Amino acid sequence: MKKLLFIFVSVLLLSSWMLVPADQSEEANAKIKAIYIYNFTKYIEWPGTYKEGNFVVGVLGTSVPLVNELNKMAGSKTVGTQKFEIKTVATAAECAKCHIVYILSDNSKQLPDVIGKVKGKSPLIVTDKSGLATKGSGINFFIDGNKQKIELNRTNIEKYKLKVASTLVEMSVQIK
Amino acid sequence: MSKIKGTIILGFLLLIAVFSNAQQSRVTAAYAFLQQSKLDSAKANIDAAVVHPETQTDGQAWYIRGFVYKTIYNQNEKGNKQSSARIEALVSFKKSVSIDPSEENTQENIKNIKYLATTLYNDAAASLDTIDYKIAIKNFDLFREYYLLVDPSKENFKQKEIDFSNAMGSVYTRIYDGDRKVRQEFLVLAKASYNKVLAIDPNNISANYNMGILYYNQAVHLINQSDYDLDIVALNDVQDNSINLFKSSLPFMEKAYSLDPNRRETLLGLSGIYFSLNEKEKSNEFKQKLEQIGNK
Repeated sequence: MKKLLFIFVSVLLLSSWMLVPADQSEEANAKIKAIYIYNFTKYIEWPGTYKEGNFVVGVLGTSVPLVNELNKMAGSKTVGTQKFEIKTVATAAECAKCHIVYILSDNSKQLPDVIGKVKGKSPLIVTDKSGLATKGSGINFFIDGNKQKIELNRTNIEKYKLKVASTLVEMSVQIK
Repeated sequence: MSKIKGTIILGFLLLIAVFSNAQQSRVTAAYAFLQQSKLDSAKANIDAAVVHPETQTDGQAWYIRGFVYKTIYNQNEKGNKQSSARIEALVSFKKSVSIDPSEENTQENIKNIKYLATTLYNDAAASLDTIDYKIAIKNFDLFREYYLLVDPSKENFKQKEIDFSNAMGSVYTRIYDGDRKVRQEFLVLAKASYNKVLAIDPNNISANYNMGILYYNQAVHLINQSDYDLDIVALNDVQDNSINLFKSSLPFMEKAYSLDPNRRETLLGLSGIYFSLNEKEKSNEFKQKLEQIGNK
């Protein structure tokens, strides 16, 4: 009896602990951000000169899960006839060629540099740190009650000759 | 007249005695056939004996029947996890115990019940996979029935119930993970299995951890299955639902952590849950603990 019980317990020990991949939560978080970013492309209109070639999303900073998720999105979605191009950018100067510039929270200090480099261009500047919508970013991600939300500064968007749909404004926390 | 009447009664009694002896001789014959390994003949004789009114309440007859079927199981059906001979043997030994409570008889019957119950337990373990899990459940239910017959203390059985329910939770989870869209009921069954364990032992680490992971994975899956086309209002609903699931996961994972603070899986789970709840400081706290353990 004891010998048989031992066999049984061994089987159970092998099978009873499930494992969580380390980056699963980061992937889910990145997915939410990617859905938001795709929504931005539906509710914001870029000038005519930006409607040719690839639709470039530049990520300033390092986030493997986010870039992976944006690349997945790029594989299945387009902006009108434009294909997505996801770029990891290292310097503010590279942001000038982007339709959307997403400055990751660790790189928030580069916001003034980015603003300086994109003068006369039409990027949507997206940030990820509290208070940045008042400091030049068009859309800023923030947390409210565990939930990922966005705050939107219409002035900061429109000064780059972008048109923002009222639907997006209504679904955001407005910053003036 | 009274002489004739007496003769009739005597004849009748003689008939009964002969018939009764015939039934007893069936039992004896079954035993003899068993010793000669003529199992079909042994089975035919003993099956006939135990349904006859004269011997159906004979503990010895039922014991012999148990032995015949146990031998059939051992010789012909050992590899069959659903052996009917094993069940017949168990039923017979159980019947024999209930009819003849003498110590000698009971000891022999119990010894055989224990042996066969152990084979059921072993077969239940060997069937713990996504294909044969129903056989595992059936065999474990039978094991439970016969184990409690020979050891009625439910306390002694608790650990076996916990081990089996934990293993079933894991099997149901694997089935659910195979196709989450169409196998929702297996998620419910997995949760029910872990709840069963927690009802017996609220401090069971494995059940707490696995329950936490079930809710956690459910929340992550809810987000990951969303299409990029989802509008922001619908995305808010997805977030609300996933947050509720992450919050449901938390107490189980916290409990598992309190029971074993150095377990890597639990630290990883808590780091993930807090990250998903956008409580980055707490998430980093557990990530650091995980790194400290990794460095040891």
